[in-house]
Amino acid sequence: MNKRMNAMEKQPTRRGFLDWLIGLCSVVTGAALTVPGLLYLWPAARGGASEDVEVPNASGLAPGQSAILQVRGKAVIVVREQTGFTAISAVCTHLGCLVKWDGSRKEFLCPCHAAVFDKNGAVVSGPAPAPLPTYRVKEVDGKVYVSVA
Amino acid sequence: MGLSKHIRSFVDARFDTETAEHFINKQVHKRLPPHTGWLHVFGSLSLLLYLSQTITGILLLIYYRPTPEAAHKSIQYITAEVNFGWLYRQVHAWGATLMILAVVLHMTRTYFFGAYKKPRELTWVTGVIIFIVTITFGFTGYLLPWNQIAFWATTVGTESANQIPVIGEWLRYFLRGGDAVTGETLSRFFVVHVIILPWILTGLIAVHLFLMRATNLATLEKVGEEKPLQPDQGIPFFPVHVAKEGVVAVLLLAGLVTLSVVAPWEIGEPANPLATPAHIKPEWYFLPSYQLLKYFEGPHGAFIGILACSLPFALLLFWPFMDRGKHRHPKKRPVAVGVGLVAVLAALFLGVLGHLSETDRTVFGRTYHFDLLGRPHQVTPSSDLSQRKHAE
Repeated sequence: MNKRMNAMEKQPTRRGFLDWLIGLCSVVTGAALTVPGLLYLWPAARGGASEDVEVPNASGLAPGQSAILQVRGKAVIVVREQTGFTAISAVCTHLGCLVKWDGSRKEFLCPCHAAVFDKNGAVVSGPAPAPLPTYRVKEVDGKVYVSVA
Repeated sequence: MGLSKHIRSFVDARFDTETAEHFINKQVHKRLPPHTGWLHVFGSLSLLLYLSQTITGILLLIYYRPTPEAAHKSIQYITAEVNFGWLYRQVHAWGATLMILAVVLHMTRTYFFGAYKKPRELTWVTGVIIFIVTITFGFTGYLLPWNQIAFWATTVGTESANQIPVIGEWLRYFLRGGDAVTGETLSRFFVVHVIILPWILTGLIAVHLFLMRATNLATLEKVGEEKPLQPDQGIPFFPVHVAKEGVVAVLLLAGLVTLSVVAPWEIGEPANPLATPAHIKPEWYFLPSYQLLKYFEGPHGAFIGILACSLPFALLLFWPFMDRGKHRHPKKRPVAVGVGLVAVLAALFLGVLGHLSETDRTVFGRTYHFDLLGRPHQVTPSSDLSQRKHAE
């Protein structure tokens, strides 16, 4: 008798199936509502393809001097050297403060946690875990352009 | 029949007011454990500050504009033009810092009195989450004036997320709403600060208070040996403890207004995404983490530092399930009390180091330069500040 009752209990019932179906529908509905919400929160991409941005008043920079500008939302330092211009990310790889160019030492210094980078962006001292990325610079008709990929 | 009686009979005819009245009377006339005193007022103080922050926050919202172009100007407008705008802004800013202090003191008292033990583990856990949410309030609200210090503190704070392996870059991008801190970040922080966190905190406080009333205040008896307080035992919640809370509430309001007048928060320079100010430092409650992060260098240093900063919060969250001892009295819990004291002293020590770091201080006529790690170096007349900095 008990065996027969147990067997009956294990058999799928209409109620059990409906419970399962309602549960599944709830999960699917929840996911259908949540996924667009999460995607909505994801920042929309901006900027598009790489483009050359002119460095304002680049000709006014003496050798050893620098200028800072934003290229596609990224802070970039352009340094004038004897041989030409170099462009390097101004964002410290430690915690995101902007480094400053020290023309007398030919080094970049972060004011937040004292990370020091050489003129090529390599870490000299301090807590920075990685070098500063460098960017492409070109001079056309006396004007200087920086390109951030 | 007076108006109040009319209202009473109207409500009585429709709802079971007797049960509600019985519940309220029971709560009001509850007896509190005999050791309940002035140290037990920090919870209600935190609650009062939450109410103050809500009211002043709503008032500020009327004039605040959450865009990079208008945010800083709107704060200036609130301060200089709006009637009593300066007061509400100052009370909100000071209220934020005092609320974190009140929550910390409340947690400290709860910890040392062993009140987190069974059956109050979940009350403690909700309390720790409230603490984390309160700090997040501070972090998100800090950006809203859109001044230099706010902008760069947020830059450093969100950059920290980037140190987490695998999801770090994704998380930073999500928090900022892009690669850098911009108007998108301001919008996100604004929504989190004024909509999402208030609802979360309101819900958490409701659960915390419900659990607190359901399990009563902890006595100093051992776990499992607490006896219900009889009507002639302990301290009456009303009027004795309520009177203490009233005194503290009045002192708090007086303190808030006094601080607003004598030590107003600066509006600061508007945010400039192309110039990081020298030696930016976070608010006092982030100073221990800020200082701790400096000791971890190398490719994975920042990540290990973030782990080290997160560890105390994880320990706090799970502490009731780790400390399974039966005793509550501080004198009978030397290990737990020792751990607590070391943690408090370590936080204070790191905070003081963080505060002193990268500054010059004169002590007994001698000038010292505190370097990045907070180590003092005596300044001689020949030493040059820039050289010292570079030597660091």
